[in-house]
Amino acid sequence: MTKNISYIALSSKSGIIFFGLGKVLRFAFFIVFLLLLGSRTRSIGGYNLWQMIFFFLTFNLVDIASQFFLREVYRFRTYVVTGQFDYILSKPFSPLLRSLFGGSDIIDLFTLVPLILFIIYAMTKVGIISVIGVLLYVFLVLNALVIALAFHVFVLGVGVITTEVDNAIWIFRDLTQLGRIPVDIYRQPISFLLTFILPVGIMLTFPAKALFGLLAPSAIVYATGFSLFLLFLSVCFWGYALNNYASASS
Amino acid sequence: MKKYWYIARNTWDQTFAYRISFVIWRLRSILQVLTLYFLWLVMLPRNATFGGYNQSLMLTYILGTSLINSIVFSSKTFAIADEINEGTLSAYLLRPMNYFSYIFVRDLGDKALNVIFSFVELAILFFLLRPPFFIQTNPMYLTLFLLSVVLSVALYFLFSVLLGFMGFWSRDTWGPRFIFMQLLTFFAGGLFPLDLLPRPVYIVAEALPFTYLLYFPIKIYLGQLSFLQLAQGLFISGVWVLSMYGVVTFVWRRGLRTYAAEGS
Repeated sequence: MTKNISYIALSSKSGIIFFGLGKVLRFAFFIVFLLLLGSRTRSIGGYNLWQMIFFFLTFNLVDIASQFFLREVYRFRTYVVTGQFDYILSKPFSPLLRSLFGGSDIIDLFTLVPLILFIIYAMTKVGIISVIGVLLYVFLVLNALVIALAFHVFVLGVGVITTEVDNAIWIFRDLTQLGRIPVDIYRQPISFLLTFILPVGIMLTFPAKALFGLLAPSAIVYATGFSLFLLFLSVCFWGYALNNYASASS
Repeated sequence: MKKYWYIARNTWDQTFAYRISFVIWRLRSILQVLTLYFLWLVMLPRNATFGGYNQSLMLTYILGTSLINSIVFSSKTFAIADEINEGTLSAYLLRPMNYFSYIFVRDLGDKALNVIFSFVELAILFFLLRPPFFIQTNPMYLTLFLLSVVLSVALYFLFSVLLGFMGFWSRDTWGPRFIFMQLLTFFAGGLFPLDLLPRPVYIVAEALPFTYLLYFPIKIYLGQLSFLQLAQGLFISGVWVLSMYGVVTFVWRRGLRTYAAEGS
């Protein structure tokens, strides 16, 4: 069902409007949920209400931005199955870049703009923040997008070898859903797993914590090293996948 | 009767033909529960209460709605619009069986599979997390809980079928369905118990049929409703089911008049 939804959302403009509206509703309902929690308690897992909202906004920013830039990956399976990927390979530009960035949708941009404005407003509410905190936040959000990019490259590689793309993407997106709240809230060993093994914490909790001045410098170094290493591995895997591409569909 | 058994079995076969997709669908359900579970665990230490819920009641609510969710919301009715638009509905109309019975049995097969997996997943979660689960022992509450779940299944089925029948007039049915699912998840109490909402909002939510899909059954299980509230809730659920059945059969008849078997 989810697969069908994403195909339809991509294939028609009215579909994109409906899905955009649905996503706004989903976003608003979770905010209502957080407001409800915040209305009856001073702190949620050590964070105040606006900090919790900020974590959720950061999750949305990374989620929507990665979909905006990497939307073409959702169409990749069709290209491999129908043999269109051979045509892409024959063109004089990078098949990797074409498969990643070939189909951004302007509608996503309309969701991103109000979200960024909301994030700026939330920054004024979370408590005392510094310029360095804001710069680190921007840096770590970009770092999160690098991790998202690495994962999508890996998915493309899997798609070339097995034609399986959708399930891998949905696993990634559902894992990142766990980052709607700070990963410290999860009990051990889940919290450790989400921070150091699966990069949900690095992607979605670290940026906001850096803004609040709660992130150790060593964590920033670790986050940067992790994302670059992951990107390196995924590009190597893409190369391996291309070498093993049999062009069976064409 | 035998043919309906084969329909249910075919649903299993179809699902297992795409077993990776099914396993991932189930995995996603677990991940969705985990966020709410841990959030409430932090919000509600052992001796605290929140809007009349202690830790045990709240975690039972979260895990309970997850189980009811797998029973009520697992459905193959989303395929109806595609069957209409692709013209494959014609094949079902020509067969010696009632189309409504066919889609209902197909749904039952899907629900059975989801319930089995949901039980296994929850058993694993229980083993790993050891939540302070509230066990209802009163036979009356348990019986009425089961009755309300049956009514929820019927009500969701009819809603979903009605959305599918939009396919008679439009090719774009997934978008409205997506919006419907967002509204339904919230107003059915899928995120939190609806009685935590401010009173005026709660009164509005209570007037909607979605309340009876998740929130009402789990409240019965938790034993938090008076006899009057129970009777009233079950009566309203029944009225919604009958009303929706009337609407669905009316729309079906009108839809068939416009159906041109296009694409078949």
